[in-house]
Amino acid sequence: MKDKQFWLANLVIIIVFLVYWMAGQPYFFVDRIVMLVAMFAMGSTLIYNVRFAKQGGEFYLRPIPGLKAVEEAVGRSTEMGRPILYVPGIQDMDQVETVAGVIVLGHVAKMTARYETSLNVPVSRSIVMKAAREACRESYMLEGRPDMFNEDMVHYLTDDQFAYAAGVNGIMVREKPAACMYMGKFYAESLILAETGNSIGAIQIAGTASQAQIPFFVTACDYTLIGEEFFAASAYLSKKPELIGGVRGQDMIKVAIIVVIILSTIIMTMYENFGIGFNVIELLTVR
Amino acid sequence: MSKIQDAFLKIGSVDRRWIFLIIALVVIVPLLIPVGLPIRPTDTTKNVYDAIESLPTGSKVLLSIEYSPSTRPENHPMTISIMRHLFTNNHKVFITCLWPDGQFMAQDAINQVAKNEFNKVYGEDYVFLGFRPGNEAVVKGIVSNLRKLYTVDVYQEKIENIPLMNGITNFKDFDFLFSSSAGFPGTIEWVQYASDPTGVPMATGVTSIQVNEVMPYVQAGQMVGVLAGMPGAAEYEALIGQKGSATSGMDAQSVAHLVIVLFIVLGNVAYFIERNRAKKY
Amino acid sequence: MIWKRQIPILIVTVVGWITILGWYIDEPTIQGFVNDDATQWFDILASFAIILGALNLIKLQVQKILYQKPGWIYSIVAVSGFVFSIVAGFFIKGVEDSVAKWGAHVTTDGTLFKWMFDYMFSPLSATMFSLLAFFVASASYRAFRIRNFEATLLLVSGIIIMVGRVPIGSVISSWFIMYLIVLSAGIYVNIWKKDMTVTFIFVAVGISIVTISGFVMGWPIDQPGIFYLPAIQEWIYYYPNVAGARSIMIGIGLGIFATSIRYVLGIERSYIGE
Repeated sequence: MKDKQFWLANLVIIIVFLVYWMAGQPYFFVDRIVMLVAMFAMGSTLIYNVRFAKQGGEFYLRPIPGLKAVEEAVGRSTEMGRPILYVPGIQDMDQVETVAGVIVLGHVAKMTARYETSLNVPVSRSIVMKAAREACRESYMLEGRPDMFNEDMVHYLTDDQFAYAAGVNGIMVREKPAACMYMGKFYAESLILAETGNSIGAIQIAGTASQAQIPFFVTACDYTLIGEEFFAASAYLSKKPELIGGVRGQDMIKVAIIVVIILSTIIMTMYENFGIGFNVIELLTVR
Repeated sequence: MSKIQDAFLKIGSVDRRWIFLIIALVVIVPLLIPVGLPIRPTDTTKNVYDAIESLPTGSKVLLSIEYSPSTRPENHPMTISIMRHLFTNNHKVFITCLWPDGQFMAQDAINQVAKNEFNKVYGEDYVFLGFRPGNEAVVKGIVSNLRKLYTVDVYQEKIENIPLMNGITNFKDFDFLFSSSAGFPGTIEWVQYASDPTGVPMATGVTSIQVNEVMPYVQAGQMVGVLAGMPGAAEYEALIGQKGSATSGMDAQSVAHLVIVLFIVLGNVAYFIERNRAKKY
Repeated sequence: MIWKRQIPILIVTVVGWITILGWYIDEPTIQGFVNDDATQWFDILASFAIILGALNLIKLQVQKILYQKPGWIYSIVAVSGFVFSIVAGFFIKGVEDSVAKWGAHVTTDGTLFKWMFDYMFSPLSATMFSLLAFFVASASYRAFRIRNFEATLLLVSGIIIMVGRVPIGSVISSWFIMYLIVLSAGIYVNIWKKDMTVTFIFVAVGISIVTISGFVMGWPIDQPGIFYLPAIQEWIYYYPNVAGARSIMIGIGLGIFATSIRYVLGIERSYIGE
């Protein structure tokens, strides 16, 4: 509440928009105003919490077992002298899950640099290969171990879904990694990868926002990050205040959405059964 | 009693390769010796059938194929049945693909249904537009200006020279959309960027695993219905009165599911026996 | 340094904000960029980037062959497949131009590419997908254990969906399910009370009620509907399942929104290194 800069900036934006609206809102899809207001409110909530965290505010984040297990998995691999296999999903960098997977890879690469464990990252897209290489290179340099970084630790297999699954399975069966991490967007190949990893006795940690694949990972892996836990992983692993503030902002938005859902249900019930109120669904429908 | 318990414990820790062998047998045997179990269409399948049945004769239907050989047993029977239904009712079919593999699947379906079964004329009864790269950009392109995206069809024939393409400029010129989809891009992109913003009704056929993701859209009324996996395809075959590969696959799927349930029950019995013994000692 | 940090952040911020705000702006150029050009630029970049990936693949596989590293035989297969696909796609059509032009040859019967697709790629793809059938069985067998209430709920609903979804579920009478429920409840009563008399009475009463009801109603296979597997399966699909799917979808959507806002505001910069 004490962040004057934040409130001032918000006020300026609102005033500018009001002036634009009074001027007849040229080139604006009027039907989408509700979405714009919602987006502004959600964005402001996130930015407020990020700034609050940067200015020293502390937030409590519940522990997520899957993220605690990442360091244990790296330690286990070091003790066993076997590599870590990291699969950043099968989609390209235009998917937010893949970007989140590459970010988590950066944190895992820091741990492997620290513990001197070998890391194997087979990828399914060329752009992901480049991004993942940069993330790993940066991590190894930050840990002071640029000598341990090898470009070929991140290597391209194929774009095709099942050919990629076959390739990764082959790597698992031949190299027998001690830990397998699946972080990104997956489709049907998720169970094939997870079961093969289970058969070689590797500890498995998965994180995905692909709804249909979450049950397979929950069944076959030791730890699974479900949905938003996966997006919050970078905040947990880096412990950076601005990222932790973002996680808190997400939670606040979720509470607001729950309140809106409950209120909308009540209003629509009143409207449809008793004719009181208004059609809130029309208001909230985005065209 | 303890001998029986030991037997269950052995079953509980059986090598998974025995499970694989049993699953292989229970899938192969019903395929070779069909049982002929009755198929009962669900509401979501009936809604798709009714929606297509209620289209006026000669309606323009966009059929989008986005699956690969890996999900062919689930999606291909749907595509075949939908195509049969459309051609039986003399609708005009426009085929597009969001996946490169979809082009091959679509060509197989066209060869089997349009050419061999119905003797339909290319360019008058159906058009095969083919695959374009771009994922959701292709969907958006079809919504805004189809002719900018497709200047030639899959056989490299100019769109202007195809009689059926007269009057087709964008997605709103179609009366219905059916998407046979196995992932991304697919059903959800069609709903979000095409069907819901324009109001053109759509239905979809998806793999069983995807039904979870699309069911909210069906419940919200953004799709008329969904063919859920191979069971959905078999139900549609029953509704149009032409049995196909989905119907013959249902016997195998039924027996396989029962065997998996049996494994789960046996596994739990072994688990309880082990837990009781551990408590005792 | 400016090329590695400030300029990439600027590109992400500018393009990100144009794409976000462009959705609200009713102006043809911006709409064209947001709807078509932005995604197509990415696809063009990705298509050229595939050359990088292909070169990396060939380099690693050829190195494996030359130095005869473990598994080098598989690398010969990989390189051969790569070369064969290129030859079939770009150099040897297998039919005359009158049968199929370049481009249309990928789906035309009789061409080398179509042969490769039908007899090599399709069977291999289908084989990998079919592994799921075996892995689902072994994963279910291993994971579905009655450890606690939630695991039991997962197990029961999983069995109902598995059996109710297939034709065999529709031939299982609801009366059979009712008898199963009575017997399962009897097992629970026995564990709880540890009294054979109480258990016997409970089971006997339960079976009598079900039997009498059955005779009265004429043993219809799908009544009472609450015990008919396909009906229970449909209810689970439409209500608890969709509710859960929606809530996860909302959470994931929020996660995507928050992550994207962090990128366009320049808060998250790990994609270019810290």
